[in-house]
Amino acid sequence: MEAINPLEEARRKLNLSVSDIWLRYFAVGGMSTELEIEAVLYGALLASEADRDLLSVALNERFSELGGDHPMPYSTDEDR
Amino acid sequence: MSDDSVDDFVIRLGFEAGRPVVTVVGDVDVLTASSLDGVLNALIDGGYREIVADLGGLTGMDARGLGVIAAAARRVNEAAGTLIVRSEPALTRRMLDITRLSNQVAFETSEAHAPDRASKHETGHPVRAVETSTSTRAGSPHTFRRSSTDLIDAALCVVTSLAGATVGNADGASITLERHGRLMTVAASNEAVLTMDRHQYETGEGPCLDAKQQGRHFYIESLAEETRWPKFVPLALGQGIHSILSSPLLTHDQTQGALNIYSATKQAFGADEHGLAALFAEQASEVLTIASDEYTNSGSEERFAAALASRQTIHQAQGAIMALHDVTADQAFASLFQLARAQGITVIAHATEIVALLGPGRQD
Repeated sequence: MEAINPLEEARRKLNLSVSDIWLRYFAVGGMSTELEIEAVLYGALLASEADRDLLSVALNERFSELGGDHPMPYSTDEDR
Repeated sequence: MSDDSVDDFVIRLGFEAGRPVVTVVGDVDVLTASSLDGVLNALIDGGYREIVADLGGLTGMDARGLGVIAAAARRVNEAAGTLIVRSEPALTRRMLDITRLSNQVAFETSEAHAPDRASKHETGHPVRAVETSTSTRAGSPHTFRRSSTDLIDAALCVVTSLAGATVGNADGASITLERHGRLMTVAASNEAVLTMDRHQYETGEGPCLDAKQQGRHFYIESLAEETRWPKFVPLALGQGIHSILSSPLLTHDQTQGALNIYSATKQAFGADEHGLAALFAEQASEVLTIASDEYTNSGSEERFAAALASRQTIHQAQGAIMALHDVTADQAFASLFQLARAQGITVIAHATEIVALLGPGRQD
């Protein structure tokens, strides 16, 4: 099986539809369309750093709601 | 979330010495940016090469709003024109600086920021006031509350008022949409236009209905010689109307309604006017397409409304962090998600706490 995007892996783990994750991404300030986000998740489009952070936030929101911590990393985590 | 009822957003269009002036009052954010985008694009498409965006009455502008200004600036620049941003308060100027937009737009300063100066922009060839068909709606024609349907209607009002003002010889324009299984006028330049639409709904015939049903343009040069619509035509002539342009509004190849332009002049519209009518119809269609996509993508209007409310909270918190710590929007957002993670709460919960700390009295 091909290596999948960690964002997509988390989406599947959380059992969220692409629409669900887009709405969560939109709710935290995302500005790309659902189609673009779908393309990012499937690896067809490279997301900007800001969009990757927003998607990580969207996923972490769900993990957090389920009582977990925030497993998805952010661009600010490592010094680059 | 609870304060949306106090946030009014207004776009006014006026002309000064032949130069269009778009005056924006209130908050430009994801909800209101598409209206601004529609106006600016309509002006650019209408061939204006010098456009003034008066942001003096802005109370806030988020990334989406800046994106709209940036896109407009780029398009005008490409057409060898200039977007002039006028009388921006320090906040707007600063946000434009942060995004390096200040290189792309020209700045003008104007005397005052007070809202009462607006009337002075309405000299020359003012855009006719647009009234929505819903008589219960309060406030001035272009003022609207933030709710998704109102936002769409407001954007359509702007397109309608531009169509009525820009198309030569037009005496008014309107937009008919099918909502809840029946046709209704969602935007109209004046009472006479509204009556013209009503005549068509009541007789069940007319160019507006046919444009909607058949998905094609109807150009009526002289109603007196018109043989179609025997019930509607005498009523229209009785109103003194002689020429009509009706263009279909489409979303994903489905007709949703029509844009109608009426004139009391015979043979009022030539090829240029036909082109402009098609252009405005295209813009109204775009507004409708975006709106319908947002609804279907999100599953339901309520979920979408909740997402918009969260965004608003996040933006408010982001704005507060930017102001308090003198950081960029991205840095402010990073601080939000880092602190939320450190506290083991959601970003939205953290943003809500910050907004609550600011108290109910927001500075606008």
